[in-house]
Amino acid sequence: MAIELLINNSADARAKYVSWTPSQCKIRLADATGMTQPVPVKLRNKPGAAGGKAVFYASLAAAPAATLSLTLPLSGTSVSFFVAGKFGSPSVADGDAAIQVRAGTRLLGEFPLMVRIRKNANKLTAGERDRFVAAFARFNDRGAGRFADFRSMHTDAGSPEAHGAPGFLPWHRAYLLDLERELQVIDPSVALPYWRFDQRAPALFSGDFFGHSDATGTVHFSATNPLQFWSTDGVPGIKRRPLFDTATSGGNNLRNEAQTLAFGNQYVLFQEMEGDPHGLAHTSFGGSLSSIGTAAKDPLFFLLHANVDRLWAKWQKRFSRYDPAQASSFDRNAAGGGNRIGHNLGDTMWPWNGITGTPRPPTAPGGGLAGSPCVSAPGPQPAVRDGLDYQGRVAASSRLGFDYDDVPFA
Amino acid sequence: MTTPSGHRALSEPQFCGLVDELNADPARRGALADLLREDNPIYDQHGGAVTVRMRGWVLLALSRAGLPNSALLFALEELDNGRDAYLVAVAARALRSYAQPSRAFAPLLMRAISNIHFHDDLFCLECYGGYSESAAGTTAVREVFAALLWLGAHAHAVLPEIDAISANKTEEFSDALAGEAGRLAEAIRRAAATQGHAQGHCCAGPADLGSFRAWAPGSTGNAESIDSILFEDQDRNRVDFGQFFRGQPSVVTFFYTRCNNPRKCSLTVAKLARLQQLLSERDLADRIRTAAITYDPAFDLPDRLRGYGQSRGLRMDAGHKMLRAIDGMSTLCAHFQLGVNFVESLVNRHRVEVYVLNAAGHIVASFERLQWDEREVLAQAVALLRDTR
Amino acid sequence: MNTKRRGRTSAKTSKGTRKARAGAPARSYKANWTVAANAGRSVKNRVAALAGLTRAVCDDNETFQGMLSILRDKSTPIAVRLAALSSLQAATFSVIKFNACRPAYLAALRSVASDPDPELRQRVLGVLSREHDGYAQKLLLEGLQKPEKALVPPEKALQLLSYDIHAEAYPVAREIVRKPPNAAAKREALRLLAADAASAPVFEKILRDKSESAEIRQLSASALLSLAPAKLQAHARAMVLDKSESDELKSTSLTALTHFGEEKAVAQDNALQKTVGLLIGKAAASAILKRVAKSFLAKYRR
Repeated sequence: MAIELLINNSADARAKYVSWTPSQCKIRLADATGMTQPVPVKLRNKPGAAGGKAVFYASLAAAPAATLSLTLPLSGTSVSFFVAGKFGSPSVADGDAAIQVRAGTRLLGEFPLMVRIRKNANKLTAGERDRFVAAFARFNDRGAGRFADFRSMHTDAGSPEAHGAPGFLPWHRAYLLDLERELQVIDPSVALPYWRFDQRAPALFSGDFFGHSDATGTVHFSATNPLQFWSTDGVPGIKRRPLFDTATSGGNNLRNEAQTLAFGNQYVLFQEMEGDPHGLAHTSFGGSLSSIGTAAKDPLFFLLHANVDRLWAKWQKRFSRYDPAQASSFDRNAAGGGNRIGHNLGDTMWPWNGITGTPRPPTAPGGGLAGSPCVSAPGPQPAVRDGLDYQGRVAASSRLGFDYDDVPFA
Repeated sequence: MTTPSGHRALSEPQFCGLVDELNADPARRGALADLLREDNPIYDQHGGAVTVRMRGWVLLALSRAGLPNSALLFALEELDNGRDAYLVAVAARALRSYAQPSRAFAPLLMRAISNIHFHDDLFCLECYGGYSESAAGTTAVREVFAALLWLGAHAHAVLPEIDAISANKTEEFSDALAGEAGRLAEAIRRAAATQGHAQGHCCAGPADLGSFRAWAPGSTGNAESIDSILFEDQDRNRVDFGQFFRGQPSVVTFFYTRCNNPRKCSLTVAKLARLQQLLSERDLADRIRTAAITYDPAFDLPDRLRGYGQSRGLRMDAGHKMLRAIDGMSTLCAHFQLGVNFVESLVNRHRVEVYVLNAAGHIVASFERLQWDEREVLAQAVALLRDTR
Repeated sequence: MNTKRRGRTSAKTSKGTRKARAGAPARSYKANWTVAANAGRSVKNRVAALAGLTRAVCDDNETFQGMLSILRDKSTPIAVRLAALSSLQAATFSVIKFNACRPAYLAALRSVASDPDPELRQRVLGVLSREHDGYAQKLLLEGLQKPEKALVPPEKALQLLSYDIHAEAYPVAREIVRKPPNAAAKREALRLLAADAASAPVFEKILRDKSESAEIRQLSASALLSLAPAKLQAHARAMVLDKSESDELKSTSLTALTHFGEEKAVAQDNALQKTVGLLIGKAAASAILKRVAKSFLAKYRR
């Protein structure tokens, strides 16, 4: 007897990644030789696994459970179920979690997977850190890699597409997702960590990770760190001068998490966070991060924005703001006649939409938003609305395939 | 001190003196327009910001006596493609001194607003370099508004765009500018009512504005020296000029990956990709070649060429290449009469330029300075399939 | 400049101030501004109040002009002036809202580029340099050519000039490499020169010069990897095989080969593979060298 189990409904090895949000799976009898009755099986998380842990859902409406009992038809017809990471138990390495399928005491199969979660950068293991850094350095490829497109997306030319209007949060969510998926092509075990800018992060600002800065603002790396070869615009290195003590504090004078979440339960209020803490996080440094046109030259930009996005995700969870149809989930500026192009729910977002020429920027480098073997959303040309339902709570197909370590699904 | 090109390097004060001297003498004023050519040795080894200051000063000097025909295209080019708010401001001011307003200028002025209004600055145009340290001064958008006012009825076709600025629904402009836009619209309407406004298409083609050039046979340099120029493509294949550019008509653009003006190189390569698509749709991709040649061959190594082209959708194969000159870059510049200059190995300034070559590898046409239309360039190349130019 | 906005967010009251629309955030900025502008309040309170003004900077002309005045006022405590600068900088990220304020903001920055306070000068020149502002570039270059006019240390001036690879800084950078006022200045001059492809031979020479500092040699490795990757690969290989080379430079070389080496060539390089394999067992090898050797072999072990 043999079984087949598809995580994210895919046989692709690159699809064996789940987050806190349930991923649809299928299981079936691939070889029912010798069986005369449908086979009852029990699914459970592989015990003793040091890293990630899985939980199961019979359906999206069901509660998560440590085990799941299913009956597999002799015909080989698939049975659907859902698996997710157990909140609080993310993986630390690829394939460190597994689904065990047993029929009685007989182990029918063990299916490795990874509970891939965006984590606090300051708390990554050495392995997680090194894999992330290696993938990011590879993506930059000494200035000649695809990262150049991401740098080009966040310059003065494109800045009105992404800032100063309600689309700020959805645009950056798409931007981070695109980057993360590109990194996952290099190393699928990588997830984008976040810099918790209201807290000290000495591990992040170290030679083995994102470097420590000297008095001039030159960032130094250890000799084993490939980020020492980081280059943008033809100039090697990173210019970053913290205006605060990275060993003992977070950014300067900015709202902490509790204060940020206290902006209010309407998006029109919450988007004020673009100034504080987001803007103040940027200007807690001298150097590239502190100006919009150069901010993306520093890879720390993406960890800063991952925290901005996490704060949005937390706010969404707190007030259940996932549905684009709900007025409080977004700022439509209906009374004013709508937002600037690129900032309305139905607008596709530059550069992924490839639309150029006034009022959009003159070119749209980089092509469509990267796809994922795990989920189909948001597609190569995401609209603003596609960024809201990132966990697929309104429509399961809207799931974007990422989660934060401290923002649960259930 | 002499520059590598052998010319005496002028300091900026000396340059200003030269400009003022030429401008003061009606018999020599015509030489000022020549100072706007990017390849003028006077810019050799000057940095980008210095070049901007110098060009701005020339345009301002020209505007004092009236912008001549020979300099008109340089002003229009800044409005169409400019990324530097100072030069856009200066160009708009200079345009107002031109003898004859034209409907053709209006869309370029509106494009200038769209290009620059998120990167505007405050200027003292009476000062060399234009830098302002106080709240007094003008801005690029204000200068463009002034130019639109000067156009009067000739700006009638762009009233909907001016009205949109006045309405300011997305609050991109200050209330003051939105108000100015409203008054501008009223003034244009009054002028149109008084003088009437011509119907019909407002947008002149490149030939009307002087950006299209038909090259006379034999007007390029020594064919033998150009033939021997060796290129490397995005896949590290080597090919010389004769091997690639003889045998079929071709369309050639110039660019470099470190260009910081998205309306120049990035857009040029993206447009070449669109032209390639038009070739494919017409089954002409195997009959007309395309090439994007870098101004910066030492830095734009094959992997950079490939990445830049790929991210802009460029087709790259045997008939369509991104190229860097292994040697002979100065010969290439001379042959194409490229509008470019350098500080060290880096470009300090260049113009938008695309060339159409016949099957003998001779340049027959070029589109310079203003944004080119893929269909018009394609038409030039297709015509070569039929005739023996 | 009048930056008052009309339209969707508000209706003007009889006093000309803004009445918030329904659902818009409660405008605490007026309270923050009252504190920020009050010279009688403590520096700490004023700094905190300024931090609360980022999104409101361009909503009200009085607030915006007031922030610029604080920035310019040499009699205001420097911490307050720097906080005003931070808030203005943070506000620039709200591009559409800040658009109306930008010209006056840039002009104000230029007016304080030569301020007596060194920190303010440095930060302002940094902002302007990232805008590729010719005024700032001129000041920085002048300071490098005439040290008595320097507004920031030479290493900082070079670093800021390197934001614009088209700046006219190459001759002075070369001179500083030749006669550096300090090690940091030499380093930043080299970094700036890394944008000029013609400088590749300079970096090759420095990379192999053991009398140069590790930091300078490592920067040269980075520059060469960008300008001439095949050459860097050859040098990196040679340095790993060189018994007299330092562990630090061997580590840098191996890191380059591990992550950016031409994979086929590296995989087939028996001498290199063998040497790296021996490093792991070598007692005298440093921990970082062993660590990167393990990473290399993990990728290339056959």
